[in-house]
Amino acid sequence: MIKRKLTLIMENKPGALVRVVGLFHQRGYNIESLHVDPVDDFTPYKFIEEQLETKFKENEISRLTIQTLVSDSLMRQILRQLNKLIDVIAVSNEETTYLKGVLLDENLL
Amino acid sequence: MGTKLKLSGADMLMHALHDEGVELIFGYPGGAALHIYDAIFRQDKIEHILVRHEQGATHAADGYARSTGKPGVVLVTSGPGATNAITGIATAFMDSIPMVVISGQVASHLIGTDAFQETDMIGISRPVVKHSYCVFDANEIPKIVKEAFHVATSGRPGPVVIDIPKDMTAPDNLFEYEYPKKANIRSYNPPVEPDENQIERAVTELLNAKRPVIYAGGGAIASNAEEELFRLNEILDAPVTNTLMGLGIYPATHHRFLGMLGMHGTYQANMAMHNADLIIAIGARFDDRITNNPSKFSPGAKVIHFDVDHSSVSKIIEANIAVFGQVKNSLSAIIKLLETKLDQYNKDTLQPWHDQIKNWKSSHGLNYELYKDESDENPILPQAVVQHVYNITEGKAYVTSDVGQHQMFAAQYYHFDEPRKWINSGSMGTMGFGLPAAMGVKFAFPNEEVLCITGEGSIQMCIQELSTCLQYNLPIKIININNEALGMVKQWQDMNYGGRHSQSTYQNSLPDFVKLAESYGHVGIKVEKNSELKSALEKAFSMKDRLVFVDVYVDPAEHVYPMLIANHSLEDMWLSKDKKT
Repeated sequence: MIKRKLTLIMENKPGALVRVVGLFHQRGYNIESLHVDPVDDFTPYKFIEEQLETKFKENEISRLTIQTLVSDSLMRQILRQLNKLIDVIAVSNEETTYLKGVLLDENLL
Repeated sequence: MGTKLKLSGADMLMHALHDEGVELIFGYPGGAALHIYDAIFRQDKIEHILVRHEQGATHAADGYARSTGKPGVVLVTSGPGATNAITGIATAFMDSIPMVVISGQVASHLIGTDAFQETDMIGISRPVVKHSYCVFDANEIPKIVKEAFHVATSGRPGPVVIDIPKDMTAPDNLFEYEYPKKANIRSYNPPVEPDENQIERAVTELLNAKRPVIYAGGGAIASNAEEELFRLNEILDAPVTNTLMGLGIYPATHHRFLGMLGMHGTYQANMAMHNADLIIAIGARFDDRITNNPSKFSPGAKVIHFDVDHSSVSKIIEANIAVFGQVKNSLSAIIKLLETKLDQYNKDTLQPWHDQIKNWKSSHGLNYELYKDESDENPILPQAVVQHVYNITEGKAYVTSDVGQHQMFAAQYYHFDEPRKWINSGSMGTMGFGLPAAMGVKFAFPNEEVLCITGEGSIQMCIQELSTCLQYNLPIKIININNEALGMVKQWQDMNYGGRHSQSTYQNSLPDFVKLAESYGHVGIKVEKNSELKSALEKAFSMKDRLVFVDVYVDPAEHVYPMLIANHSLEDMWLSKDKKT
């Protein structure tokens, strides 16, 4: 078990955060730290806008970072489960990024 | 463009459901849903079916969805209406069944005040839905309905809840109604077409396998992939096994069909999986009832896994090749490529494998030790009941089941040649599912034979729906395999708890099911002797316009076999009470 950091870009909607947190709780993973901010500078996320053919507007998306203690095999499963949540746009750990079903081999968030 | 229709939230909801193609709603009224119920009264395009308990509504919608492939729709009120629906929502979630559940909620200004019949439906349903919406702005009702149906039916299907506070459906507040043509959810993009590289890699493995097994599950049915699967195996000629959820996706009477695999799978299916060199998993997810101990699972096999859900692949069993996309599209791509390489494939290389499987089948086939004696000195065997039902209905009926021994006997002995005809709660294992699910199927297919194979334990969990069946004249046939005990619990207690039958028998407290059926206005038939069984069943099925409840007393000591030995591999099975592999 090692401390891992996850970063998510998600829709800033009521109930979105609890879906993410609930997924950890349901599987018995403890969250060591959690941080959420609305995104006001979209420059780092141009590639997401291009991929999703969308334009982010103010207060529309949030950036969420979670630190948790998990094994490598669980890490992959958590990423996939987070990617499956409808309100999650992209999720990454240190090595990979899921951008709505597309797996990319680097941390882009 | 003319002026847009101005409607209340409740009327917009009904218009949106109609525009979405909904024909039937299963539901139960109550305070928070009354504006919606009034809108139902004032329209004639969608039929509402009044059930007797909200759990029945969800299972009925579920049965409708499983048999038709279209989403089931449920309408309940807030509080107890919503919580009663949870079991049915969870059942649909676990089996990936498309469903949209609309729940009334207390008015917006009362949320969080512990108002009468207030419960946090979004919160309580969150772990068992694919997604959920709460309506905060009535203007958004059409958009939310469109999105809900899109999410429920695309990708890996599942239930979606729409919670609507009462003020959102108030009759005096009117809005311009327009139903969106397309749901546009930028953060939701389930895979459809497979990756070509993975298809090529998969085909290479398929061409070189010596001991392949096709292992197809509910996902193949959800994707309507029966023709593609059949065509694929016309080329490969591999043995095929189905999960409990996948029965019917490949014809059970086909000579390459091995039967169901897993906990109560056939000897040959489990042996073939264990000894395979290539497992072709199609819309199946290596559930614990399939793998037994994952570390001992099929030690020599490579795995090609076709699935629409990333999180289902390499979750339990590592896939060597993962093909993401709609299973139907992925199989089409495989077939297309295989057809260009037919010269590289020789079916005859599988012959030793087929011979091996034939040996397994003949040494411990399913009918092993059955029908030793059908005289009246011997009790009726539950398997015999299913076999007679299969013969009388010529294998063509829609069969729902509840959960327990009767469910396994039905899965083993009713041989499904078509998908969507076997309707059972596979993953959730929800007792009480069978009767309401059969109602949903009968509404969808009024001219088809619909029967529910149940047990005296399960049927009592939603028995109230017999009243719904009378109201809507649903001539379902209920086959109650009555062993006067919670049979599967008792079997485990026999096998693992020294025969201590803790709370699994009823101490002679069962109702007279014949009188019970009659009191609900239906026909009841009781069967206690082998010599009466066939004629009683024939009589029941001859009454085309009546619901008939056939209460068959069977051998209470009978167990379901084969049965995997816990924590071992797939080749470790109990074959009878005193014989293991």
